[in-house]
Amino acid sequence: MLLGLDMALAVIVILAICLLGAVRLGSIIRLFVFQSFVMATIPLMLGGEVHIHKLVIVLGTVVLKVIFIPTMLFWAVRHVSIRRYAPGFFGIGANLLLGGFLVGLSFFLSSGIVLTEKPFSDLLIPSAFSTLFIGFLLLISRTKAITQVVGYLVMENGIFLFALLLLETTPLLVELGIFLDIFVGVFIMSIVINRIQNEFDHTDTSRLTAPEGEKG
Amino acid sequence: MIFFILGLSLFGGGLAFVLPKNGMRNGVLVCVALVHLLCMASFWIIPLPDVRGSFLALDQLGLLVLSVVSTLFFVVSIYAVGYFRGEANKSNRMLIGCLLCFLFSMTLVTVSQHLGLFWVAIEATTLASAPLINLQRARQGFEATWKYLMICSVGIALALLGTFFLAISAIGFKTLLLRDLLSHAVSFSVPWLKLSVIFSLVGYGTKMGLAPMHTWLPDAHSEAPSPISALLSGALLNCAFLGILRIGQVCNAAGQGSFFGSMLTLLGLISMGVAAVFISGQSDYKRMLAYSSVEHMGILAVGIGVGGMGLYGSFFHMVNHAFTKGMLFMTAGNLYQYYHTKRSRDVTGVLRTYPWTGGLLTVGFLAITGMPPFGTFLSEIQILSAAVDQRHYGVAFFYLLFLALIFVSMATIVLRMVQGMPRQACAPKKNRESILAVVPPLFLALIVLMLGLYVPPFLDGAFKEASQLLGS
Amino acid sequence: MVARMLVCMVFSPFLLGVIGKTKALFAGRKGPPYLQLYYDIFKLLQKGSVYSRTTTWIFRAAPLVSVTAVLVAAFLIPLGSLRAPIQFWGDVILFAYLFGLARFFMILAALDTGSSFEGMGASREAAFSCLSEIALFLNFAVLAVLSKSFSLSGMIGACSWFSWTTMRPSLVLVDLSCFMILLVENSRIPIDDPATHLELTMIHEGMVLDHSGPDLAFILYAGAIKFFVLGGFLITLLLPFHFYNPAMGTVVFLLGMVFLAAAVGVVESAMARLRLNRVSTFIIGSFVLASFGLMIALARAF
Repeated sequence: MLLGLDMALAVIVILAICLLGAVRLGSIIRLFVFQSFVMATIPLMLGGEVHIHKLVIVLGTVVLKVIFIPTMLFWAVRHVSIRRYAPGFFGIGANLLLGGFLVGLSFFLSSGIVLTEKPFSDLLIPSAFSTLFIGFLLLISRTKAITQVVGYLVMENGIFLFALLLLETTPLLVELGIFLDIFVGVFIMSIVINRIQNEFDHTDTSRLTAPEGEKG
Repeated sequence: MIFFILGLSLFGGGLAFVLPKNGMRNGVLVCVALVHLLCMASFWIIPLPDVRGSFLALDQLGLLVLSVVSTLFFVVSIYAVGYFRGEANKSNRMLIGCLLCFLFSMTLVTVSQHLGLFWVAIEATTLASAPLINLQRARQGFEATWKYLMICSVGIALALLGTFFLAISAIGFKTLLLRDLLSHAVSFSVPWLKLSVIFSLVGYGTKMGLAPMHTWLPDAHSEAPSPISALLSGALLNCAFLGILRIGQVCNAAGQGSFFGSMLTLLGLISMGVAAVFISGQSDYKRMLAYSSVEHMGILAVGIGVGGMGLYGSFFHMVNHAFTKGMLFMTAGNLYQYYHTKRSRDVTGVLRTYPWTGGLLTVGFLAITGMPPFGTFLSEIQILSAAVDQRHYGVAFFYLLFLALIFVSMATIVLRMVQGMPRQACAPKKNRESILAVVPPLFLALIVLMLGLYVPPFLDGAFKEASQLLGS
Repeated sequence: MVARMLVCMVFSPFLLGVIGKTKALFAGRKGPPYLQLYYDIFKLLQKGSVYSRTTTWIFRAAPLVSVTAVLVAAFLIPLGSLRAPIQFWGDVILFAYLFGLARFFMILAALDTGSSFEGMGASREAAFSCLSEIALFLNFAVLAVLSKSFSLSGMIGACSWFSWTTMRPSLVLVDLSCFMILLVENSRIPIDDPATHLELTMIHEGMVLDHSGPDLAFILYAGAIKFFVLGGFLITLLLPFHFYNPAMGTVVFLLGMVFLAAAVGVVESAMARLRLNRVSTFIIGSFVLASFGLMIALARAF
C-alpha cells in the first residue's frame, strides 16, 4: 500500500510540473482535476483503519475539487471562446526549469526538517512543499485570472498534503469548514471573473485599469 | 450566550437576503447591530463562564477585539443608512446581507479558541467582505476586488500552512485548542514552531496589512464605499491582529517570545516606513487614509514586538485607531458625497462650506497623527517609552522618524483641503449636513478624546489583563 | 555474441514496420507490409547514387559513419538477458557520444550540400540534440545513483524486481523521460514527422534530402538500428526479470520491443506534431522529470 502512496505523490508533483508547461485554459483546469483526484485517493493509501473521518475527507475532496470547482471554473471561462495562449512572464521553458529548481529546493528543505513521528512516506513532505511552491509560481507568473485561481487551488492541494500528517488532530468540523471556505472562495472568484469578462472582454489581470491617484 | 450572538448575526444576514424592501433591510441592520452591541456590553458586566475544552469561548483578548468590532459596526451601520439613502432605488440586499455575514464572521473570529476554527473564520471574513468592495460595479473597483481576493486568500492559505506546522510541532498532543496548546507549549518541537511562526506571520500579516504584504490594502480600502472602508480598516484589520496575538501567546508559552517579537518589530517598522513613503504626495485622500492604516498596523506590531509596556500601549492603540480611522473614513465619505471627487486637490475650503465636516476632518487628522489630547498620543508614547526602556534605541529612532514624516505629509494634504477658499469650479451644492452624516463620526471623535483624557478603569483593567495573557 | 548481433541487425527494420502498421490501424487503413523497410533497403542498395557537384568526401562518408557508429553502440548495450560484449567503466559516455558522432557527420553532410533546406534541418537537429543529450545524461545519472555503477551493463543489469519495489518512483520517471528522449532522437511525432516531406516542417528528413541509392539505404538502416538500440535500453530497464535461458530471455525481449514499437505508433497517431518552439519545452519537460527522479533517488540513497 505504501508504494502506491509513493507513486501517487510522484504523480502529483509530475502533474504540477505539467501544469507549469500547459498554456491553454482547458488543459490547465483538466490537469488540476486529475491532480485533485489522485490527491483524494491518498488518505485511503495511508494504512490504518478506514473510518468515517477519512471517508468523509476523501468524498469531500472528490466532490469539491473534482466536481464542483471545475464546473465553476469552466462556467467562468465559457465566454472565452478562444481558449487563449496564456504563458506568463518568463516563458514556458524558464517556468519549467524554475519548477524543477523549486522541486529540488523542497527536497533540500525537507532533508533539514526532523519529525518526531516518522511520516507515512519520505516523499510526503518534499512533494507537499513542491506542490506548494509550484502553485505559488503558477500564481505569480501568469496574468490570466483563471490560471491565478488554479495556482491558488494547487497551493491548497499542497497544504492538504501537509494536513494528511495531522489526520487525528484536525477535527472533522474544521476540515469541513476548510472545504466550505475553499468552495465559497472559488465561487466568489468565478463570479468576479465573470463580471470582469463582461466588463472588459478579457480576463488579463495585468490590463485591468489601475486606480487613480497611484503614486509610484 | 455566545451562540446567541453568533446566531443573531447569521440570522440577520439570512433575513436581509430574504426581505423585500430596502427600508426593512436597513431596519434589520440597525436592530441586529444594536442587539449585538448590547450583548457585547453584557459580556463586560457578567463575565462569561470559562467553558473548558470548548471551541468557542471569550477570553480577554477576544473580548477587546469584539468590543471594538461591535461598537464600530453599530456606529457605521447608522452612518451607512444615511450614506446609501441617495441610492434608495437600488436594492441593498447584497449590501446588508453581506454586512451582516461580515459581522457574523468577525464575531466568530473573536470567540474561536481552536486555531483551525479561527482560520476558517478569518477566511470567511475575506469572502464576506469581497463582494462589498465593488458594490457600485465601477471599472476601477475590479482590480481592487481581484487583488483583495487573491492576495488575502493566498496569505490566508499560508496562514493555514502555519497552523498545520504548529499542529505538527505539537504532534504528540494532537490538539489545536488554544488552552491545550498553551499548557503543553514547552515541549513543542522548536524548528517546526519557528517555521509555523514565519508562515503565520506572513499569512495573518497579509490580512492585517503589514508591509511588504500590504499591496492589496490601498486599492481595496480606497475603492470601497466609505462605510465599508471604515469597517475594513477599523474592524477587520484588528481581527487579523488577533490572529497574530494568538500566535504570540503560543510562542511566549513555548519560550520563543524573543524570536516572535523581533520578527514582528521588523515587519512593523517596514510597514511604517512604507506608509511614510507612500503618504507623501498622495493625491487621493482615501488612499492616504488607507496607507495610514498600514502605518498604524505597523505601530501595533512594533508595540507587541517590543513587549513590556508596549503591550498595554498596543491594545490601547488598537481601540484608539479603530475609532479614529472609522471616524475619518466616515468623514471622507461625507466629503465624497459633497464634492464627488476623491482627489484631494479638488477639495478646498471644507471648513467654510461644511463646518461640521471640516471640523471633524481636522480633529481626525490631529487624532490619527498622535496629537495630544487624543488617546492616540498616549498609546503611541507608551509604545515609544517601552522601546526606550528595553534599550531598543534604533527601533525608537525609526518609529519617531516615521511618525514625524507621516505627520508632515498628512498635514500638507489635510490642511490644504480644510482651509482656504472653496474653488468655484468644484462648487458643491449647498446642502445641509445631515444628522446621520455628522453624529456617528462626532460620537467616535468624542470617545477618542475622552480616552485621551481619562481611561475608564474597566478598560484599564482589560488592557492589563490582556497584556498578562500575552505574557509580559 | 554472433547471435546477438544477428538479432540486432536483422530485427530492427521490422520494428519500424510495426510502427507503420499501428499508425495505419488507427487511421483505418491497411498500411504498408511489416517488411516494408527491408524491401526499401534492398531496392535502394541496387540503385546508383547521384552526387551533387558541391559535395565532398564528407557527404559520401556520412552514411557509413552513422551506420558503423550505431552498430558499435549496439555492442555496449545489454539486450534483454544477453550481456553486452563490450563493457567497461564509463561506457555510458562512449554510448552517448557514438550517437553524437553519427549525428555530427549527418549534420556536416547536410551542410555539405550547400542547400538551404538541409541547412535548416541541420540547425534544428543540432539545437534539439543539445537539449536531449543533457536529458539523456541526467537519466544516466539517476541510474548510476540507483545502481552505484557507471557502466551501462551495471546500470541496467542491476534493475531487478527488488529495485522496482523500492525505487519505483525514480524508475518510472526515468522510463518516462527515456521514452520522451526516444521520441526526440528517432525523430518521431511529436517532434518531427517521418511521413511528411515538407521541407519546412521536418528535421531529420530535411537533412537526408539529397542522399540517394545505397547511401539512403544505409541511413534508413542506421535509423532502424538507432531505434532498436535506444528502445532496447528502455525495454531492458523496464523488464524486471532475468531469465537464465538466453533464448527465452531474447524472445521476451523481442516481444517487449514489438510492444514498444506499437506504443510509439499509438503516441504518433494520438498526437500532432508540436510547434517548433514547443519542442524545446517538451525536451525541458523530460529533463525536469529526470531531475525529479534524480532527487528522489538521492533522497533515498542518503
